[in-house]
Amino acid sequence: MIQSADDIVRGTVVHANICVLGGGPAGIVLALELAKTGKSILLLESGGESPSEQAQALNAGEVVDEKLHSPPDRYRQRVLGGATSIWGGRCVPFDPIDFEARPWIDHSGWPISYDEVERHYAAANAWCEAGEYEYDARLATPGGMRALLRGFSPLHFDANGIERFSCPTNFGDRYRARLHSAPNVRVLLSATATSLRAARDGSRIDTLDVRNGRDCTFSVAAEQFVLAMGGMETPRLLLTSDDVHAGGIGNVNDLVGRFYMCHIAGTIGSLRVNGTADSVWHGYDVAADGTYCRRRLALLPETQAAMGLSNAVFRLHHPRIADPRHGTGPLSAIFLAQRFISYEYAKRLVSDVPPTYKTWLRHGMNAVIDSPSTGRFLLRWLKTRTLADRKFPSIIIRPRTNLFSLDFHAEQVPNPDSRIDLGSGLDRFGNRRLRVDWRYTRQDVETVATSFDLLSQELATQSIGHLSLASDERDIETVVRRDGAYGGHHIGTTRMGASARSGVVDRHGKVFGVNNLYVVGSATFPTSSQANPTLTIVAMAVRLAERLGALATRVPSIQESVS
Amino acid sequence: MPDSIDYSRKPVLILGASGFIGSRVTAALTYSPIYRPVAASRRSAVSVDATDPASILGALRDADCVINCIAGNDQAMVRATQVLCDAARSIPPRRIIHLSSMAVYGAATGTITESHPPVDPVSGYGRAKIECEDIVGRYVRDGGDAAILRPTCVFGPGSAQWTTRLARLLQAGRLGDLGAGGDGGCNLAFIDDVVGAIVSALDAPEISGRIFNVSSSAELTWNQFLMAFGTALCATPIRRVPARSMKIETKIIAPFRRIAAKAIKAPWTEAVTPSLAALFRQDIRIDCGAAQSALWLHQTPPDQMIAAVLRDDRMKQELAPL
Repeated sequence: MIQSADDIVRGTVVHANICVLGGGPAGIVLALELAKTGKSILLLESGGESPSEQAQALNAGEVVDEKLHSPPDRYRQRVLGGATSIWGGRCVPFDPIDFEARPWIDHSGWPISYDEVERHYAAANAWCEAGEYEYDARLATPGGMRALLRGFSPLHFDANGIERFSCPTNFGDRYRARLHSAPNVRVLLSATATSLRAARDGSRIDTLDVRNGRDCTFSVAAEQFVLAMGGMETPRLLLTSDDVHAGGIGNVNDLVGRFYMCHIAGTIGSLRVNGTADSVWHGYDVAADGTYCRRRLALLPETQAAMGLSNAVFRLHHPRIADPRHGTGPLSAIFLAQRFISYEYAKRLVSDVPPTYKTWLRHGMNAVIDSPSTGRFLLRWLKTRTLADRKFPSIIIRPRTNLFSLDFHAEQVPNPDSRIDLGSGLDRFGNRRLRVDWRYTRQDVETVATSFDLLSQELATQSIGHLSLASDERDIETVVRRDGAYGGHHIGTTRMGASARSGVVDRHGKVFGVNNLYVVGSATFPTSSQANPTLTIVAMAVRLAERLGALATRVPSIQESVS
Repeated sequence: MPDSIDYSRKPVLILGASGFIGSRVTAALTYSPIYRPVAASRRSAVSVDATDPASILGALRDADCVINCIAGNDQAMVRATQVLCDAARSIPPRRIIHLSSMAVYGAATGTITESHPPVDPVSGYGRAKIECEDIVGRYVRDGGDAAILRPTCVFGPGSAQWTTRLARLLQAGRLGDLGAGGDGGCNLAFIDDVVGAIVSALDAPEISGRIFNVSSSAELTWNQFLMAFGTALCATPIRRVPARSMKIETKIIAPFRRIAAKAIKAPWTEAVTPSLAALFRQDIRIDCGAAQSALWLHQTPPDQMIAAVLRDDRMKQELAPL
């Protein structure tokens, strides 16, 4: 059943066995998985079935360095489905090394093994509609995928890893009917959690304060509460709820909001590939199940260990769109249409530097001179993207020469000084807004710089091509700063730890010291991997559902045996 | 076929023996050491008009049991069941096995046992099956011995509706990954399992008056089944069928295809009807616990069902890529 909380009368207490806060992918998957237990599940979503300015305004906050990090009301959506209403659909599992305590990375290591997450990836793939759980290019499509660079056998990179793409599935749209028909699931929209009310001794959460769209307060009483609100709102609610736990729930050791990570990502360099056009394939292959798959070059774990690097991947990319020297009509058409592209995508497609009239003119010339290609591109885009349910994942344009750039997506090391905190402004419910102080480290820059050099050397040694940097890219840090924190990946702010000294939540996602409060989502990831987080968020939601389901069946039997 | 007819075997009258299920029951009983099939239909060796009381009375004289597999239009089904039960009151067979359908549950959702009431909307076919079940129920109350089986969508070699049609639609890319439109419970029953349950029911103790769901056991959605079947058929890459396309197909194009199908039998005249699309969405799980315990129902896993279809020589020809 899906209802609006606006119909709930002030002062009402809504009861449920398990209350899940946040109707994004983690919350929706958790609710639907938990529905199988027969317990009553309450799913609270601050937004509605479609986006609204009123709900979205609650995401606003402060950013310490606006050049490095996007405003907190970007890349986050208060709507059923959460950020999957705007995501790109890239699905990649974490690597075993991500879970290990790596001596060269402070605060690394998860309190759970890779296997404990890996066994849920097949289910996560299904939820994300990313097809079969197969991430080896040799096996993902019948006969194997085409080579990225023919003849390239790198020593420091795995060239057979792939990423698979979701439709991209908007979890709100896709699973609305199932949420609606599940007899023991109640979804309340327009229900914003404002404070967790702990018992006097702080050992459990008694109730949750909620405000509806008409600003009326009601509360929720449940046996278990799960925060599935994302890497920013989760620490915010914990820090806000400080009436019993001074400094916020789970914050005895001042860890809530710290270790905030995104990804170090951007587009860099210029790769001229030797040989004919068919010696390189930077596009997508389609698996038998219909999913789009794409190869990438992933830094090998042995190399990471030997050189003290964090995890990173590279993808072949078309030349930078903003630079009209590429001479490619479709790219220039995208540049010209930037006003019609959403902020989240335009930020990566075009330059942060305001273009001059000369730049506009050159792009216009490109679009006209190369108009046949532009026309073909637009028609293909209409067919495979605009009108398709399983959308072609991104812009793939074959450069007129074998000239590419490189997309990099690298792990950011955990850093306690990079943090989400409460700011000075208040939202319309009187709660303090977010304050984002995202920071990168020298180690983050080194990973990109060193792995770029390694790739460059290997490409040259094997006569595959020539990789170079433009004069304004020679200092890699300027590139890192230019692209800043990768939007939408909010990681580590209520990290999982072996004890309360190293983490906010335990191996199951339960907040240390509070018996019935759990967190699910990328907020709990102690490290950020090279991978986009959504697939692992969903896998962790499935894992938590298994845990809570087991607890739910155990508790009544214990109660029965006691009585 | 056996060289000679062994009259010590119990004669089982199969009404609708030329149909998909009837013919498979007939084939199964042909080699049975216990039962002897008497295949009856308008087209078979034993010509019986199931809607003609005299014809049915004549057929019942030699029958130990009757299996009623009659399909066809709704009125004819009801009429044939009424004629059978009326005749059986005069010449009672030891047992009647009546084939009904999951269509009697209409739009019901959730886990469905045999006692679940119909939920509107119930199709015309479903209403006719309910009426048939009522007739059989009255026959039992009058002292007759009869059991009702409610198979789900019957899949297997020779199933035009639930195998060939689905295969053709998958090959044409008109079915595939249906997204939310394919989240319904895929309650296919494998033909061999259905036949096995029917044969078991002939002599199963204390089942008169009882109803049995017959389906596969898999907790499978239609999407999962269609993906698996499409992959096995090499109808790949499986197409994601947008909800918009499905709406156009069911609401605008399907009526024309159905009209054309009356004149031409071709893959392009196979229609994705609104009721088929609704079935793909229907979140229904058929509970077969009763048939498992009373009829020893075997439930073939979906991958084996598909493999059996692809192994079958006739299906190989029928399902050859377009």
